[in-house]
Amino acid sequence: MVIMIHEDVIEFLSKVPPFQFLDEKTLASLAGSLSMDFYPKDTVILKQDGKVSEYLRIIKKGGVKVSIQTDEGEDIVVDYRGDGDNFGLWSIIEQNTQKTTVVAVDDTICYLIPKDIVQNLLDTNAVFTEYFLKSHLSKYIDKTYNDMLTRSSYYGGTDRILFTTQVGDIAIKEVISIREDASIQDAARLMSKHKVSSIIVLSDGDLPSGIVTDRDLREKVVSRGRDVQEPVSNVMSPPLIRVDARDYCFEAVLKMIKHNIHHILVVKDGALRGVLTNHDFMILQGGSPLTFAKDIENQQSIEGLVPVSQKITRIIRLLLKEGAKASNITRIISELNDRMVKKVLEIAERKYGQPPVPYCWIIFGSEGRKEQTFKTDQDNAIIHADPANEAEAAAIAAYFPDFTLFVKQGLMQLGFPACPAEYMANNPRWCQPLSVWENYFHKWVTMPNPEAVLKSLIFFDFRPLHGETSLAVDLRHYLVGLLREQNVFFARMAGVATLNRPPLGFFRTFAVEKDGEHKDALNLKIRGIGPLIDMVRLFALEGGVTETATLDRVNALRETNPFIIELGDEIEHAFEFINLLRIEHQLDQMDRGLPLDNFINPTTLTNLERKSLKESFQLILKIQDGITEFYSAGMVN
Amino acid sequence: MIGVLSLVDMLGMFNNRKDTDIDPATPVDEVPCVVLDTELTGLELKKNSIVSIGAIAMTGTRIDFASTLYMLVKPETALTSKSVVVHGIMPSDLLEVPDIATALQKLSAFVGNRVIVGHFISLDMGFINKYLKLFQNRVLRNPVLDTCRLHDWLRSEEKGFGRHFDNDLPNKDLFTLARRYGIEVSGAHNALSDAFITAQVYQRLVRYLQRHGVQTLRDLLSIGKS
Repeated sequence: MVIMIHEDVIEFLSKVPPFQFLDEKTLASLAGSLSMDFYPKDTVILKQDGKVSEYLRIIKKGGVKVSIQTDEGEDIVVDYRGDGDNFGLWSIIEQNTQKTTVVAVDDTICYLIPKDIVQNLLDTNAVFTEYFLKSHLSKYIDKTYNDMLTRSSYYGGTDRILFTTQVGDIAIKEVISIREDASIQDAARLMSKHKVSSIIVLSDGDLPSGIVTDRDLREKVVSRGRDVQEPVSNVMSPPLIRVDARDYCFEAVLKMIKHNIHHILVVKDGALRGVLTNHDFMILQGGSPLTFAKDIENQQSIEGLVPVSQKITRIIRLLLKEGAKASNITRIISELNDRMVKKVLEIAERKYGQPPVPYCWIIFGSEGRKEQTFKTDQDNAIIHADPANEAEAAAIAAYFPDFTLFVKQGLMQLGFPACPAEYMANNPRWCQPLSVWENYFHKWVTMPNPEAVLKSLIFFDFRPLHGETSLAVDLRHYLVGLLREQNVFFARMAGVATLNRPPLGFFRTFAVEKDGEHKDALNLKIRGIGPLIDMVRLFALEGGVTETATLDRVNALRETNPFIIELGDEIEHAFEFINLLRIEHQLDQMDRGLPLDNFINPTTLTNLERKSLKESFQLILKIQDGITEFYSAGMVN
Repeated sequence: MIGVLSLVDMLGMFNNRKDTDIDPATPVDEVPCVVLDTELTGLELKKNSIVSIGAIAMTGTRIDFASTLYMLVKPETALTSKSVVVHGIMPSDLLEVPDIATALQKLSAFVGNRVIVGHFISLDMGFINKYLKLFQNRVLRNPVLDTCRLHDWLRSEEKGFGRHFDNDLPNKDLFTLARRYGIEVSGAHNALSDAFITAQVYQRLVRYLQRHGVQTLRDLLSIGKS
């Protein structure tokens, strides 16, 4: 029988990690073995070098300060803990003297779990052990997601198909294939016979060398009056885009959007396992990012794009509902935005004719990192080929101002506000030949005054979006070479990455804005995501990594960068987590017709979210301290 | 008649010695105690009787959820409509519960030699000892602390320092006092939940009394003995 005064305890513990992961029976028996104590404000609960505690204490209500006294007698605050947090575990496990001093900073009520019960839970309960003995941030994040997903009504949907279904599960298993030397007609007959919209072309070694789809037959054969006796390899579409059978469907969707294809090969352990079509996804879930991409493709004017662009919020909601990780959401959104900008550029090219010299449209900032969520300011520029002569220079001067103005205004119509700092291709300063760009970069890196560093932070996340990609690739290579051994520059960047420290040193876990419009709120962008992006960029630029997306950079640095080797997974999880909080928050604001911002109120978070956020902040602080030491950023100030 | 002791008297002596076993110099935060509450059919010792008993063990300020006791008791007198309103126990609830003698035996075993704590505890002790005397010809001689007295002493101390208390509480019933100390109270009176609330009041009182120089069981008894 559950005794009534235990019910409150069970109710409390069922909302507090890691106890919330225990089953009902274990929780009930745990509740019956606890005791409860009260510590008025300023009570010293545990004393450094004092007696080992016999209990793990969970704060029911109140707050404590954990500190360590150094040999020199200096008190260093290690942490503040509040409702739902616990303390005293290590002295239980190590059976040593108490390592920290814990003082109540408010009237505090604690539940006390006896040592042997804790030990028993650690021995028998994997989730419990993971929580305490491993770095829980990484282990937890999935649970946090599930928590978020089940919490509010609009995440309650049952269809999380894109993110829970593996490609292998829905791909057409029986692949219809044909030899390379067969005729187009044979291929078409085979497709008709099996009522499929695509056929895989196999090379001698039975390896897939291409695919022929209905579209190929239409566009490459019928419309051009091609001889149907020609070998099928003449009209197939190489290279084949493929996904692994174990990948989740969204990976496939992403590739299909990116490459503008409607069929994708599914491979498993190198062997062909099936084909997945656009149609399969449509059946799976009416209205997908794919349809959205197609919508964009079909538009011929800015006016036509406007209604399509307004639907993007719906996509974000859909993705959230399906349980997408923040990075997956931003990748898909960036991909769709990319297509939209490309479309605008194509429209502009039709209107103004082909440019006098090859050019590359580059984007930077969050667009450059593929980390866009809701519409952000335009951050774009043009690298064009150096003019060969006066006439060409004149043609360039005549062409780009109108062209870029059209694009700028078009993008504004589609809901991308102009960049207040004028970091746009329409600004003549940012529409320059490769040689000038190289000069810019050279100046910023070799004379890193604050303004130069600021520009580096923004522009060095550039990637090509449209046009002559090789111009951007050349510039990137130039930059990689330029940055070698530029210690002063990196020290400056390190200074930036350690400038905004996430708040921890306050009672009840978070320091929040003390006054003004955002009183009691926490700026997730400046205090959370910003520092993460900055530190990973620093590592990437120093390591010669050409990726721009933060998580791609992390992955590229896994073998080489000491910080990433040690903390790569945790950085990834922290990044995902904070971004998801931001997206959720902004979607909520959008629903309520409020202007979007990055301020969240920590008290509105669940215990688990608070815990994860706090862990993320602790991680950032740890890396910042490491960076300060490693780059001697202190000298630069 | 010296030298001729009845068995009852011998038991009584044994009990008495056991009841007062705790060293008076025990620090307040190590004092073993049992917080006790009874629900009654009414307040008159002669006419009324015990309906239920709730008890929870503590060590110092630590409330031990592993050690609780709750019993409904077959009352020796009829339930009154007034008492039914207070504690919600209906006659039909009491058909298959232990009689008072059995219940008190269990209670004695549970209490052992611990200090007994309660709110207006003399009332509860009066009923308990009336029946113990009746059925077992003995009484509980454990040291008894009244949270109401402890509160009064603390209040007068703090008043002396001119702090916190501008006025007396209008009444000092358990719930009023509990709210005064920031303890959540809700629901109907039940012997165990009231014992738990009393335990939390005692918990806070002891912490605050410590700051006023109350260090040992002896000190506690000198100010809060019922």
